[in-house]
Amino acid sequence: MFNFLNEIKENLKNPKGFELGNFNIINISGYLLYVEGHLGLVTLSKELISFKVKKAVVVVEGKDMILSELSDNTIKICGQIKKVEQI
Amino acid sequence: MKWKNETKFHITGLNQEKLLNELSKKVDLSEIERNAKNDTTFKCSYFEHKKVLKVLKNKNVNLKAVEHEGVAFRVKQLLSCYGLIAAVVVISVLYFLQSGFVLQYEVSGVDRLSAEEIVAFVKTENPSMRTIIDTETVESSLMSEFDGISFVSCIVKGQTLVINIKEKLMPDEMYGEFKPIAAKKDAKITEINLISGTLNVKVGDVVQAGDELVSPYMIDTSGNLKKVEAKAEIKAEVYNEGSVDHYETFIEVNRTGRTAVLSEITLFGLEIYNFKEEFDFKMYDVEFEETSLVKNLFLPFKMKKTVVYELAENVVESKFDEVKEEYIEKARKKALENCENCDTIKDEFYTLRHLAGVTIVNYCIVTEEVISV
Repeated sequence: MFNFLNEIKENLKNPKGFELGNFNIINISGYLLYVEGHLGLVTLSKELISFKVKKAVVVVEGKDMILSELSDNTIKICGQIKKVEQI
Repeated sequence: MKWKNETKFHITGLNQEKLLNELSKKVDLSEIERNAKNDTTFKCSYFEHKKVLKVLKNKNVNLKAVEHEGVAFRVKQLLSCYGLIAAVVVISVLYFLQSGFVLQYEVSGVDRLSAEEIVAFVKTENPSMRTIIDTETVESSLMSEFDGISFVSCIVKGQTLVINIKEKLMPDEMYGEFKPIAAKKDAKITEINLISGTLNVKVGDVVQAGDELVSPYMIDTSGNLKKVEAKAEIKAEVYNEGSVDHYETFIEVNRTGRTAVLSEITLFGLEIYNFKEEFDFKMYDVEFEETSLVKNLFLPFKMKKTVVYELAENVVESKFDEVKEEYIEKARKKALENCENCDTIKDEFYTLRHLAGVTIVNYCIVTEEVISV
């Protein structure tokens, strides 16, 4: 099956050989954040949403945020997204 | 009404992120919103809400509300309305039961026979169950009950029993209402033209208004009486009379010309002004007249005018010979008023009767008319 993100990964150069198969995050216009490959929700509030990914935690800061979708593998965050940080 | 089948949960409690992670492994969640620190709402598919409830049951959370929406939920809600279902079932059963009965009767082709009588007979003699009713039995029972039926066919169409009847053809004289012919005036019969029925009079008979001229039956050669329509044209001499009395002396009352006027103005029926002329008439005649003084209805001033006319008695003497022709003409006019639809005036004459001070003029016009009605 055609996967848009896999196509991008194949076409991008990865000279240092980083591992690219852990998770994907797409920020659409700062209002919709699509996450693939999360490992569980850590924090949920209107200003801060954080979730675990492989070997890290991703923190999303923003305003009036809601989880418009939460499944076993994906997250969709809707709201005004100010910062996405991996720690 | 929303069409999407969803269930909204409202939960309170600690460590909700862990709970949401556990739920998301079994069910896809949407619109997860943290309203307060320990207060969250989320949605899932209506078809998976039982899985969510099962998980929440074993967790230390307080389920504050569960709201369902969507077509599937509404359908299920309707199906769980037992009263409504019972009503539908009862109505269906009643409809099924009544559909087994004949509820309407349609009779066609009857002219002389009464459709009501036929329907009443069919109702009493046959069952009304559609499945039991035998159209052949209905046909044969109708044929045996009603003599006037030549052919009958019945079919059950829906809940209607259609009865198609062809009546027996009878001679023309046997149609009709079988009423006797009566004389409409006092007369002397001059001509009879009998078409059907039995004649009760002959030429030269003098009959009175209302007398039965022709009876609505015939007696055949076997002596049996048969009903027929009475038909005949009977002509007769009719004596139309008009009478006028002449008095040799009589009192005539006339107005002398003297009058007196009484006026009064009223408002809402109350008299507010009046004017009366005094009079000393021994005999008088009175005329009233009421007129509105203004056109608008806000102040309905009205004037009532009473005019009193003085009367005087005069003794008039008249000799009959001087006014004879005038009185004869008056009597003739009166006699002519009685000659309605007269065909022919055969003769006319007058008689005079002299009594004490009175002469009675009697005018008679003899006409030939058809008196059979």
